Amino acid sequence: MNTAMHDKRIPIIKIKNFLIVSIQVDMHDRLALQLQSQILEEIEKTGAKGVLIDISVLEMVDSFIGRMLSGMASMASIMDAAVVIVGMQPAVAITLVELGLEMPGVDTALNMEKGMEMLERRLRNQEFEL
Amino acid sequence: MSETYNIQNVKERINRIEDVLASVAAGDLDARIESEIEDDLSGIEAAIDLLIDDLTDELRQRAKMQKELEDKLSKIQEQQKTIMQQQEDLLELSSPVSKVWDNILILPVIGTLDSQRTQIMMENLLQKIVATGCTIAILDITGVPTVDTQVANHLLKTVTSARLLGAECIISGISPAIAQTIVHLGINLSAIRTKATLQDAMIYAMKQNKRSEEVKLQIQRAGYDETEE
Repeated sequence: MNTAMHDKRIPIIKIKNFLIVSIQVDMHDRLALQLQSQILEEIEKTGAKGVLIDISVLEMVDSFIGRMLSGMASMASIMDAAVVIVGMQPAVAITLVELGLEMPGVDTALNMEKGMEMLERRLRNQEFEL
Repeated sequence: MSETYNIQNVKERINRIEDVLASVAAGDLDARIESEIEDDLSGIEAAIDLLIDDLTDELRQRAKMQKELEDKLSKIQEQQKTIMQQQEDLLELSSPVSKVWDNILILPVIGTLDSQRTQIMMENLLQKIVATGCTIAILDITGVPTVDTQVANHLLKTVTSARLLGAECIISGISPAIAQTIVHLGINLSAIRTKATLQDAMIYAMKQNKRSEEVKLQIQRAGYDETEE
């Protein structure tokens, strides 16, 4: 059973300073929690400054996953990494808002390209501040 | 002293009356006694025949009326269907989302907003945002006479959902009456960017566009510098 769970691992790709996570399977609660800790560990290991989470193929996001995503944004920001959620479907957005999960403080982008730009801009702004 | 009745074939005729009544009860309205003998019982026989005639007339009339009512009902149902269809069409037609500039969508809202209409509007807008990849959407409510709590709530939801997709939603054209209602209702719109007119919103959106273009260029240039070094 343990190996089966490992097979379902969601790949985390590192490009330059960023981590890219593309969720392409239906999320269940355990997988979500596993992904959360996996991403945080990866941030620590690689020292990434930004995480892009692509959920464009997710057609359903329940309150648990929604909470997990917004929680992850806060956790990552404590670890000095910005999280951008990319490619949310309109139906998913409406569901989350109806559930009252407005995800304050979470950055979102229409697609991967725009998300990447957003992170680069933020990194640059941080450099200027220093 | 007892009176005697002058009745012929009593048994046979009473049986006949019973038979006729039974067949009328069973639904045969053409059954009649039609006795040819004249005596004390013939009055009753004639009266029963008359009653059956009346009953037949009544029933026929009722059937006719029922048919008319059914016709009317089906006509009304048809009209209802047309009205529903038209309402649906109206809902779809009444929320056009158009791309007016690079990266900018406009949704002009005209007329009274209700929950159903705002819902459809919201879905249209979000779908269009995803389809066109525009990151700025202007919601112009100049043509909306009033809003209530629910509608204000729906507007808020639209803006929040657009943000979740990664687009910024600006509301423009809030009339004095609407501003008053919103503040009186205690709705906090401070999290939403609002502009006085559509023009202001367009100017803001285009400035935003320009800014992101500049930043993009800067980042690109910085990237090249790094590689050159």
